[in-house]
Amino acid sequence: MEYKDYYKVLGVERTASADEIKKAYRKLVRQYHPDVSKHKDADAKTKEINEAYDVLGDAEKRAAYDEIGRGYRPGQEFRPPPDWGSQFDFNGAEGNDFFADLFAHVGRRGRAAGAGPGAGMGGMGGMGGGFRMAGEDIHAAIAIDLRDAYQGATRTVTLRVPEQDASGRTVTRDKTLSVTIPKGITPGQQLRMKGQGHPGIGGGPAGDIYLEVQLNPDARYRLEGTNVYENVPVAPWEAALGASISVPTPSGPVEVTVPPGSQSGRKLRLKGRGIPAAQPGDLYLILDVVLPPASSDRARELYEAMARDLAFNPRERIGA
Amino acid sequence: MVIQQSLSGVLLEDVALTLEELARACDVEPDWVVRHVHAGVLGSQPAVQVTALRFRSIDLMRARRLLRIERDFDANEDLAALVVDMADEIRRLRTRMHVLGNKTA
Repeated sequence: MEYKDYYKVLGVERTASADEIKKAYRKLVRQYHPDVSKHKDADAKTKEINEAYDVLGDAEKRAAYDEIGRGYRPGQEFRPPPDWGSQFDFNGAEGNDFFADLFAHVGRRGRAAGAGPGAGMGGMGGMGGGFRMAGEDIHAAIAIDLRDAYQGATRTVTLRVPEQDASGRTVTRDKTLSVTIPKGITPGQQLRMKGQGHPGIGGGPAGDIYLEVQLNPDARYRLEGTNVYENVPVAPWEAALGASISVPTPSGPVEVTVPPGSQSGRKLRLKGRGIPAAQPGDLYLILDVVLPPASSDRARELYEAMARDLAFNPRERIGA
Repeated sequence: MVIQQSLSGVLLEDVALTLEELARACDVEPDWVVRHVHAGVLGSQPAVQVTALRFRSIDLMRARRLLRIERDFDANEDLAALVVDMADEIRRLRTRMHVLGNKTA
């Protein structure tokens, strides 16, 4: 794995105080927050910033990072010493190879098995029975196509997770999961895979995996909740006179009646043809009147005839 | 070594999280969740016994975002909730613009 210079990520000196690190982090988080940033790589940058602060914002982790990273340059092949960090207790960041590998060797912070007071705070459980902790949960995202939401699908995700090897040592492994995506799922929904997260310690239960569903951008369809929107080009005579047209939709082609006198922007609602969730959404076809080009003598003649015979003023409403 | 597994997850819309499970998924004390539910910034259920509280995808996502803002900026829970609400509104408006055909949304 390549060494990452977290100080460089946050733009601070290695001698920066905790307060300086926090200030630098907050400034960058505001700058790259995906909800407000215009940077195209805002998501990736935010993850990188969070990862750096997860380490440098914690005195214990920072000390360990400084200890093992001495002499490394960004991008340089990095190998942590086999016995490093045994005195530290970490709670790893999510889904990052460098971080996961770096902190796989140390006992991760867990939760007291059996919940109750102290659960979630990294306490030790198993009263009188030694060290027992539940494993951490893993939070990740899975991107699907709109078609998958309509039909269901199986998608593969690879997560880097810690595992105990034969000698009881914690190492990272790539865990490839073939995940069933249920039909009717919508972006933002979470799939929980119980017991598939980080292993527990001392017989504690394993954590869970939570996969947040995200939708890949689609050139044809747009989604809002469970409703789907699709632009449908129509010829001027189809819009003016009405027509029965065939339209491709996510659930297959449908015959649609275009009412006479339609204009661009008119919405035709196909009830129940949106995402097939428990309460199915609707499919909205938005008509888009497309003009044939006046690229031949005959086409020009027809346009000239319309201009002459129709006495049509499209700017009447604005007083022109 | 690569481990391969086939899994079917459970949607939180079908099997919601309990109070303890949400707390664990957010790595917080259950008290944190209860405090935010009672403050009206988390969950959409009327006041019920805490043991009967159930949380779905939107609650998990919101709880994690609230927590991040509270921790990153030392924000109190009302301010964090305001930030999350405003971010939600921005996303909703962007989605609406995109749906209406605005290519910059």
